[in-house]
Amino acid sequence: MPHFAVTAVGADRPGIVAAVTGVFVEHGCNLDDCSMTILRGHFAMMIVVDAPARLDADALEQALATPAAAYDLVLAVRAIDDERPPSPSGDAWNVAVYGADRPGIVHRVTSLLAAEGANVVDLSTRVIGPADRPVYAMLLDVTLPSGGTGDDLRARLDALAKELGVECSLHPSEADIL
Amino acid sequence: MAVRPVVTLPDHRLKQPSATVGRVGAAARALAADLVDTMRASPACVGLAAPQIGENVRAFVVDVTGHRKARSCHGEFVLFDPEVLSAHGPVVAREGCMSVPDLTGDVARATEVVVRGMTVDGVDRVLTVDAFEARAVLHELDHLDGLLFLDRVVSHDSVFHRKVYR
Repeated sequence: MPHFAVTAVGADRPGIVAAVTGVFVEHGCNLDDCSMTILRGHFAMMIVVDAPARLDADALEQALATPAAAYDLVLAVRAIDDERPPSPSGDAWNVAVYGADRPGIVHRVTSLLAAEGANVVDLSTRVIGPADRPVYAMLLDVTLPSGGTGDDLRARLDALAKELGVECSLHPSEADIL
Repeated sequence: MAVRPVVTLPDHRLKQPSATVGRVGAAARALAADLVDTMRASPACVGLAAPQIGENVRAFVVDVTGHRKARSCHGEFVLFDPEVLSAHGPVVAREGCMSVPDLTGDVARATEVVVRGMTVDGVDRVLTVDAFEARAVLHELDHLDGLLFLDRVVSHDSVFHRKVYR
């Protein structure tokens, strides 16, 4: 069963999800994981669908052209690996970074995380506050090698945050299984 | 007494309100023993409600002994027909559930709770629980009303994949 990654972005308005998923239903596709949110006023969808073997990416993209035109969406369909690639295992941590907006915050922070062996599993950023004094907020879920205290990473993050003039925190996000 | 399979989504028994016990008899005591045994079979498990072993009966077991987030700790206790007498001070924390594989979520729960129920001896018991023990009690109570943590997450983006838990 082929898997496709479908991405679509367009000015937010009611009906986008229903229109796009209607095409999936018509073509026998099954929604797997998806993430949809509003980014700077645009509704952004990232969807992984299981498709019937007879359907290829071009055909699905062509079928999606109807809702794409109706809702003015920038849309793409790409085939992806059928296997579910494993993420590196480890302990779950949250990282929060926020402060005056400036270029390169995401790059610097994630470069540090990568160098420390942290794997980013979720990241969202928002520019908030008044236009003349924008505040940049970034929230990350990361996994770190099991059993660590996070102290070394915290010290390095603090040093980087100081250099960038932003605030930064790191805390474990282990869930309690009840 | 036996370790029973833990019921997981999408089993409909998890979404059904459970029936009251009324009087603690032999069947209820056997259920309590199975709840304890099944909880003990998973070392990290701090509580289990009867619907999670397939019985839509108002009963749960909790034991937060040794948990780093616990303040009050009444050890292992089973309650039948539990009811909350008072609950204050909601705090958001991340939860997972034996019956909901793969996901965790941030849930607001009261941290100061007084709960009443019947023990395995059929005796009325009132417990004042706080912090993590309160969270565990409220989580298990929700099971008796057919509610999962997914029904209470503070926002959809506070639902997360979790490590494989066995």
